[in-house]
Amino acid sequence: MTMDMSRYLGLFISEASEHLEALGRDLVQLEREGSSSAVDSMFRHAHSVKGMASSMGFEPIAILAHRVEDLVDAVRQDRGRLDRDLVDLLLSASDTLLAQVRAVAEGRPPEDPAALLAQLGARVTAMTGHAPSATRVAKVTVLKSDGDGTGGDDPGGGGGASGSGSSGAGGASGAGSSGTGGSSGSGAAGAGGTSGTSPSGTGGSSGSGVSGPGGTSGTSPSGTGGSSGSGVSGPGGTSGTSPSGTGGSSGSGAAGVGGTSGTSLSGTSGSSGADSSGSARGHGPGASGASGVSGEGVSPGAVGAESRGASVGPVSTGEAGISGTGPPAASGVSSGSGDGASASGAPGSGAGVPPAAPRLSAPDASTGGTGASSGNLATGPVLADPASSRVVSELGHALKAASSGPLPGDAPEGRSTQRWAVRLRIAPTCQVPGVRAFLVHKRLTNLGTLLDLRPALEELKAGRIPDGYIQLELETSVGDTGIHASLKNVAEVEVVSVKPAIALPIALPVAPPAAEGARGATGDSSSRTVRVRTELLDYFLDTVGELMLATARLREVGKVLPETVRPALEEGVYRLHTLVKDLHDKVMTARMTPLSLITDRLPRAARDIARRKEREVDLVITGAEIELDRAILDELADPLLHLLRNCIDHGLESPEERLAAKKGPRGRVLVAVKRARDRVIIELEDDGRGMNPAKLKAAAVARGLLTPEAAARMTDREAFMLSCLPGVSTAKDVTDISGRGVGMDAVKRVVENVGGTLEIDSEPGRGTRFTLRLPLTVAVVHLLLVEVGEEVFGLPIAKVVGATEADGDALSRSRETALLPHGNSLLPVHALDMLVGVPAPARQGLRPFVVMEGDAGRVALGVDRLLGQEEVVLKPLSRPLDLLPGLSGVTILGSGRPVFILDVPRLLSA
Amino acid sequence: MAKRVLVVDDAIFMRNMIKDIFASGGFEVVGEAANGLEAVEKYKEFKPDLTTMDIVMPFKSGIEATREIIKHDSSAVVIMCSALGQESLVMEAIEAGASDFIVKPFRAEDVLAVVKKVLGEA
Repeated sequence: MTMDMSRYLGLFISEASEHLEALGRDLVQLEREGSSSAVDSMFRHAHSVKGMASSMGFEPIAILAHRVEDLVDAVRQDRGRLDRDLVDLLLSASDTLLAQVRAVAEGRPPEDPAALLAQLGARVTAMTGHAPSATRVAKVTVLKSDGDGTGGDDPGGGGGASGSGSSGAGGASGAGSSGTGGSSGSGAAGAGGTSGTSPSGTGGSSGSGVSGPGGTSGTSPSGTGGSSGSGVSGPGGTSGTSPSGTGGSSGSGAAGVGGTSGTSLSGTSGSSGADSSGSARGHGPGASGASGVSGEGVSPGAVGAESRGASVGPVSTGEAGISGTGPPAASGVSSGSGDGASASGAPGSGAGVPPAAPRLSAPDASTGGTGASSGNLATGPVLADPASSRVVSELGHALKAASSGPLPGDAPEGRSTQRWAVRLRIAPTCQVPGVRAFLVHKRLTNLGTLLDLRPALEELKAGRIPDGYIQLELETSVGDTGIHASLKNVAEVEVVSVKPAIALPIALPVAPPAAEGARGATGDSSSRTVRVRTELLDYFLDTVGELMLATARLREVGKVLPETVRPALEEGVYRLHTLVKDLHDKVMTARMTPLSLITDRLPRAARDIARRKEREVDLVITGAEIELDRAILDELADPLLHLLRNCIDHGLESPEERLAAKKGPRGRVLVAVKRARDRVIIELEDDGRGMNPAKLKAAAVARGLLTPEAAARMTDREAFMLSCLPGVSTAKDVTDISGRGVGMDAVKRVVENVGGTLEIDSEPGRGTRFTLRLPLTVAVVHLLLVEVGEEVFGLPIAKVVGATEADGDALSRSRETALLPHGNSLLPVHALDMLVGVPAPARQGLRPFVVMEGDAGRVALGVDRLLGQEEVVLKPLSRPLDLLPGLSGVTILGSGRPVFILDVPRLLSA
Repeated sequence: MAKRVLVVDDAIFMRNMIKDIFASGGFEVVGEAANGLEAVEKYKEFKPDLTTMDIVMPFKSGIEATREIIKHDSSAVVIMCSALGQESLVMEAIEAGASDFIVKPFRAEDVLAVVKKVLGEA
């Protein structure tokens, strides 16, 4: 079966991007605060990206993410390893990963950043003492339409063969390359790793295999320890010295490279190995019970249960009582999910006091389980089926053994244990034979006592299992059928033989039950959310807008109906209106997104700019949880970033200058988000050198953007706004990062386009503050409707200062432009009909003028008639209308008349 | 009756992939969870025949979640979703009561083979 991975591409792109952005944020946070939760979440992000990329078959991304994961893991072990260079390296890795994901989004294959990989690999080697391990990647071709899944499998098989056969060669080459850079080494290993689903990881990485053991153990086991330990051992293997027989794959490998022995992996597995014998018993019922879920599984479950009852004796009762599970009961409960079963099972565990009780109740429970499961899984007929006599006999075993009394059809094994020689084989295709062997070991330990295990447990766990064969002797009362049954449901294991060995009387060391304390839950349960595409939300909003318009239209129509029918219709329309309004509010709420979506990126940006400019910055962000319409947020990302750049690049002084100005060496940028009724206010404030209004005025005058007279009349605040005019910059050095005036006009335009305003306040020597006042949503705007000729246009109230009447012909003029007295200034007059190109009859006498905010001060617009204010749902323009400068949207009035909303500053500059 | 499955992974990507694999194998995915806490809750809610469990997850790891699920229901069948390099974690999960494991990146047929084996269907 071949999976079509292309269907996951969209999810991959969005989710991987999220993880990577979060990774970058965590890094900056970690560097700043050193919180351990950031390291853990970084690890998760890298790990997730690796997993997704490898599933998608994007090898370069998977390998890069793997390196990052390795490095973060190393930091997790020892925080002291995180220095500025490492943060830089990791940040550039996460940037590169983002770029790779973007490449994928654009349908290109992700680039293979060899230099970066080499750096990362070297760092991994330096930090962990061993070369990076191979990254396993699925063979999928997502970017081409024809994916071949089977092609991916075959190389696996091939890899397997070559893994054992030419392990020496594999090991050598692995060593050569990984020795150089670690990254390219990984490349080589990676190649091996990918091709050889299971064995390769082995052969390739466990260059340890180079030696004798490599040939055999190379086939599968090494892959296990392989990932950490044996990846190293490649190089170790080359030197040929360390393979050290079988000693310890990880140990030997590590020695080959860095001289450090015993990697952590082997260490931990060692300790957990110690645990295993102890806790295996505690969990025994879990495993066996688990198999009870399936119809046939009932008997193995019971077998497992009984084994503890019979063999462990009194202690087992206590245990059952403690864990509250009571093995038989559990199998009954879950498989049957029947009340009867659970009821019968319950006493088994609950009572758990006298040693006899569990023995008696166990069979009850298991029978109960059968009954219940037959209800659920239809084992009823199966039991009747002759083919399933095995099941029955197993059940018989279980019952008999559990009750430890004589049962028909069985005599010898009832009470006494018997010793069995078991030979197993782990499938050669198994990717992690060590874990597989461990699982087998655990299953068998649940049945009784393991007496002779070859290879030894530590070897097994490390995956060093020659040809996958495991031999052991097991002392148990469940018989060969019980042994078969306990392994029946374990994948990738073949039971080669089970033969009687010498029988011995029971002599079971009783391990203390493993205490199973429930760990306290930390963190909140994640909120129940769904992901919705932004376009879908837009569509909802659009449709609700249409509904509102349709409702308004209905109301208009109702006005002309006769008195007799009108009330009923109006009532209906009113109800409809309320519902639609409600729906609209909900849709708007769904579009609300916390500002953190964009402010989260600022710390990283601040760090980058500060490093480049050799500034010291503390960035403080407050109120990022406040929500805004998604559409506004999307628009704001760049302006905010630009303002931040401005603050750090031009606002803040260098540490020396700051010291000279008696300020602390570290600059401070505060981003404060506040909610004020139906507006959101974002303030960006630095404590830098501030702006000089006189210089701004001079610059504007010099560029001919302002008359000296107008400049003289300007307040400081107005003068600061001059920095938003294209080309006005007082910065002496216009850098690659920013220069005042470069982009400030864009910032202002964006803010105003979404219906907001921008204010600048500054005090020389004390700092600058940018204040953005934004509506919560772009969708509903207040308009002043004006008529020009036959046309109606909407002007955003936010930009309207006032309206006045004057005789157009009587106005004074300066060159071509008429001037309207307003307050104590003269405003340039523009006739709207001329601006929009609508023919309007020449008119005499008084006419209305709308005074509006323009980019370079206020302007007066001559119109024919003021029609009034209206709250409307703004609809964005689609192509090609959106290309027309000066139009910011369209809406439809209750009368059904479409109305364009004008962007006056753009209109004037067009 | 189709066997009922709970899919636990913090990545939607992975969950979708695993869900599709199960759907193709004739299983019914009855629920999904994005972290260990949710996993335990959802397990209690759905009582699935089988649970696939990611290991590295926020709030509560897959190992902790498995431990709690097994404690709640010792017959629970939990299959760990692991990656190469997580061997010691998977062993820990087995100690905690996990029934079996699969290794990322998954191939649908491998996943289904293990699952069917564990459920006694193969």
